[in-house]
Amino acid sequence: MLSDREVTNTLNMLRNEHLDVRTVTLGVSLFDCVSHDLELFIANVQAKIARYASHLVPICNEIGAKYGIPVVNKRISVSPIAVVAAPFGPEGMVKVCKALDWAAKEAKVDFLGGYSALVEKGLANGDRALLESLPDALSQTERICSSINVASSRAGINMDAIALMGQQILGCAKASADKDGIACAKLVVFANIPQDVPFMAGAYLGVGEPDVVINVGVSGPGVVRKAIDRLLQRGTNDKGEPLSLLDMAEVIKRTAYKVTRVGEIIGTEVAQRLGLPFGVADLSLAPTPAVGDSVGEIFQSLGLSSIGAPGSTAVLAMLNDAVKKGGAFASSSVGGLSGAFIPVSEDSSIEDAAARGLLSMEKLEAMTSVCSVGLDMIAIPGDTPASSIAGIIADEMAIGMINHKTTAVRLIPVPGKKAGDVVSFGGLLGKATIMPVPQGDASRFIALGGRVPAPINSLKN
Amino acid sequence: MQKFTVSFLGRDCPGVVSTVSGLLNECGCNILAATQSLLLGEFAGIFITAVEEGLSREALQDSLERGLKKASLDLSLIVRPTCEGIWGEGEACAPFVVSADGIDGKGQIAGISRVFSRHGVNIESLRAFLGEEDEKRALFVFEIMVPASVDIGRLRRELACEGQTHGLRVSVQHRDIFEAVNRIESI
Repeated sequence: MLSDREVTNTLNMLRNEHLDVRTVTLGVSLFDCVSHDLELFIANVQAKIARYASHLVPICNEIGAKYGIPVVNKRISVSPIAVVAAPFGPEGMVKVCKALDWAAKEAKVDFLGGYSALVEKGLANGDRALLESLPDALSQTERICSSINVASSRAGINMDAIALMGQQILGCAKASADKDGIACAKLVVFANIPQDVPFMAGAYLGVGEPDVVINVGVSGPGVVRKAIDRLLQRGTNDKGEPLSLLDMAEVIKRTAYKVTRVGEIIGTEVAQRLGLPFGVADLSLAPTPAVGDSVGEIFQSLGLSSIGAPGSTAVLAMLNDAVKKGGAFASSSVGGLSGAFIPVSEDSSIEDAAARGLLSMEKLEAMTSVCSVGLDMIAIPGDTPASSIAGIIADEMAIGMINHKTTAVRLIPVPGKKAGDVVSFGGLLGKATIMPVPQGDASRFIALGGRVPAPINSLKN
Repeated sequence: MQKFTVSFLGRDCPGVVSTVSGLLNECGCNILAATQSLLLGEFAGIFITAVEEGLSREALQDSLERGLKKASLDLSLIVRPTCEGIWGEGEACAPFVVSADGIDGKGQIAGISRVFSRHGVNIESLRAFLGEEDEKRALFVFEIMVPASVDIGRLRRELACEGQTHGLRVSVQHRDIFEAVNRIESI
């Protein structure tokens, strides 16, 4: 028999604290679809995706209902298109992107990730074609997400790719200017990209992954915040002593354990029902614009006036680490990013801090050195030079490369908007106040190109 | 050997279990299974016992009642032959937890359990928490076994509908999720 506490705690998590499975992502390898003929390649890709994805949505809904936990998003990730579609030029790439979009619609998934290139050491023909195609591809499709890995701790930073991405991000914004540059929200630049991320826009299926696999992304910032609030309300720890940050870290860790268990049980069952292997559970505190589903609110519960206040980086470091510890104990299949996200427009509390000037690009950059992703969903002025965007990317990639961690940049230069203006992307993407970018000129540095060499692994200080 | 089910119900106090188990022993009962529960100071104990052939139910009841009187314990007693077999044995069933919460009112448990009965669903545990957050609020938790033949979607819809008529919000979840979240499996 379940205890009273087990029942009420679990019910509270589900009913009042926004616990959900944020995404079940079906990974599909496209390496066996390769062809020199574009039409044949597209037919192979669409057939393979349809073969495995046709039951994904109904089965996720059925299992979500069984456990009373909604599977909010069903998604697909595929092999890096720059590799599997390498023979085709930019126009061919756009056709592939549209074919993927059609396949995603047919499968009734909300996003398909993997329109990606891994260019940390150099650009092959397929990589260059994909990067050149980005403005057309992402503005002419609805459900396709793209990730470009431009740096790694083993290879260094590909500054040529970063320079090109600075231009292409502006190109994507211009191509979707009628929708406030929304195409940029589907494009992320990475350092050390994990190859099993289930979350968008960074999801793709890496080279070492199974042919088809189920990965799960669980979230739950609301659950973590409520757990902290309950502890604060109680006033003392289990031993009756006054609360300290050790107690806070402990409660975050335990909550992360619970949330990860939910993801694993649902992911395992979805995989079993589809007759596929289960890959990873990625526990990431991924906020939504809904009140009570915010990472920023956790900072307030832990005693800061808002995210961005002095102490924010320390709080985020503790939060990120406690989440990883709880997740790692809950499942041997933890992967992906597994940590805390700080996407500005998608989190009402973070956006509020940014709008009030309490959170700057510089502070966000500092915080990304200890969180699981990076500069995420930040709207910037539409007239930001490509070299400045490239410079921001280079800074963020350097943090990832030196610290052997994943970092990423998802900037949206909103055409026609200047710092302080407000833009609404709608839905889960939320709204954003345009944030000023750091002043100064990076154009000569970016124009140098080449590669920042990989860092030394000894003499660490 | 024959089996009798013996149940005791009454005010709880220290020594209740000692007295009733001692009485069963004195009456020649070997306790095969036992459970006890406390609810707002009321004690309930059920014992499955094995006794020698030839001891009638009436004689056992009479002996136990005399023993209780002698011990000055105000407990109600029922003795009946144990039924063989358990409901659902051999049938594929899945464990679910149904929780219903809202403003407390009359007929709520009856209404929800009527839906279970209609679908051939067995209630294995029922608990009511009254006035935990607000004195007018009630939370009912049913742990149920659902035969594989039952359409869980339809059961869920009918429970939601019944709950609505009583001002209750009903959720139906597989029991595994509660265990996964709260327990570490022993190895």
